[in-house]
Amino acid sequence: MSDALLQIRNVKKWFNSKDKRLMVIDGVSFDVQEGEFISILGPSGCGKTTLLRIIAGLEKQDEGEILLRGKSISGPGQDRAMVFQDYALFPWRTVLGNVLFGLEIRKIQKKEALEKAKSFIKLVGLEGFENSYPHELSGGMRQRVALARALVCEPDILLMDEPLSALDAQTRNVMQAELVRIWEETKKTIIYVTHSIEEAVYLSDRIAVLSKRPAKLLELVNVDLERPRDRFSKEFVNLRAKIFKLIQS
Amino acid sequence: MKRDFFIFFISIGLFLVIWEAYYWFFIKNPFVLAPPSDVLITFSQLVIGDPKFAESGFYIPTDMLYSLYHYVLGFASAILVGFSVGLIAGWSKTVERFLYPLIELIRPIPPIAWIPIAILLLKLTHTAAAFIIFIGAVFPILLNTMYGVSSVERKYVEAALTLGATKTSVMLRKVIIPASIPAFFTGLRVGSGVAWMCVVAAELFGVSQFGLGYKIQLARLYHSPDVVISYMLAIGIIGLILDRIYRAMGNRLLKWRRGFVVE
Repeated sequence: MSDALLQIRNVKKWFNSKDKRLMVIDGVSFDVQEGEFISILGPSGCGKTTLLRIIAGLEKQDEGEILLRGKSISGPGQDRAMVFQDYALFPWRTVLGNVLFGLEIRKIQKKEALEKAKSFIKLVGLEGFENSYPHELSGGMRQRVALARALVCEPDILLMDEPLSALDAQTRNVMQAELVRIWEETKKTIIYVTHSIEEAVYLSDRIAVLSKRPAKLLELVNVDLERPRDRFSKEFVNLRAKIFKLIQS
Repeated sequence: MKRDFFIFFISIGLFLVIWEAYYWFFIKNPFVLAPPSDVLITFSQLVIGDPKFAESGFYIPTDMLYSLYHYVLGFASAILVGFSVGLIAGWSKTVERFLYPLIELIRPIPPIAWIPIAILLLKLTHTAAAFIIFIGAVFPILLNTMYGVSSVERKYVEAALTLGATKTSVMLRKVIIPASIPAFFTGLRVGSGVAWMCVVAAELFGVSQFGLGYKIQLARLYHSPDVVISYMLAIGIIGLILDRIYRAMGNRLLKWRRGFVVE
């Protein structure tokens, strides 16, 4: 239990407005193992993104704690990288420049950084677009850049906040398959926030199913399906139905 | 493109014809106004340094250099102060609140109104001219930079944080400054326009004994409207060139915006 990479311990969070104190996360606890692909699934507005932002260190929980390799998280750190829903690529940097960003901050030698950045651009399938600017790319390509930009930093954990929700259905399916391929190649630990049951089942080893606001952990669902997964197989559909009912109840 | 050129020449040509006609029908007095045909001759003589004018100190290249010297001195300090104060004020709400009343009080005072103080404080020197130019250019640069910095989207800051940019200096250098360059450039271009106007105003009032503006005033005393207008022409041309330079610089530097910004 205690040798988990990341331990989320009874995290509670309130949002304060003028006269109200709104509870968004109500005592969520679970562990994330090294190398695992875990999804946080819940209805829109349930606080799952907030939970991810707390793990990223962009927000602070009011109660509870999060331990990374046994150490409490108190802010953003180089051990975690995040991929955002709206990509958040730096528009003034090219694809290569975006991917180099984290390496520049880590003061990696120029030549080495360049090689590394290029290999990650290749990994996400964007060879030949190194000198393009974000506004010249499609949504799917931008998300590939964001992925390479985060992966190149070699974080312990990759945090992904509904990264594919802005894409059309077909591109999303392609990107899901790509994501699985990249995850298998890099063996990264990924925490993936989504509101799509299908996406969660397709991608994850385990799914942390959250309730409506305030978010409570309903169940940790194991997904024991062979990859690549068939969205239309009986087991896949059954699991989807099971999780659907879980959220509805 | 060819059509634009055509219209350009028609527009300028028509203006010159009307001006020429106006002179010969209504004025006919070279001490009051000069027709464009005279101005063009005088202008070229002033540019090449014809002794007719050069002997009494009218030589556009020299005056241009003096004016540009005032401009560079004043404008460079305006960039330095405007950019750094704008950066800090945009970054820190406290600094912004502290500076706001001060800026809003001083900003509406026309730069020309500072001329007496500049002369009293700095005497009739190049520094005095530069000071007026500084006053004129600093606010557009400062306010645009401040606006640019304070409106940097949160998502860029957060993305940088999660990529390891947790030091303020790194965040400023790698995110805040590049993200606010477009707004800074807007300030630069507006500021440059104001600065160039202030060059003329400052020299006109005799803050400095050299420069294009000063010579306009001198030529009026000599009752030479052809010289006055030639210097006006020089001021216009240089102002245009300066703006074109900043525009080209902006386009080069802001390549990344091409596609969603119409310049």
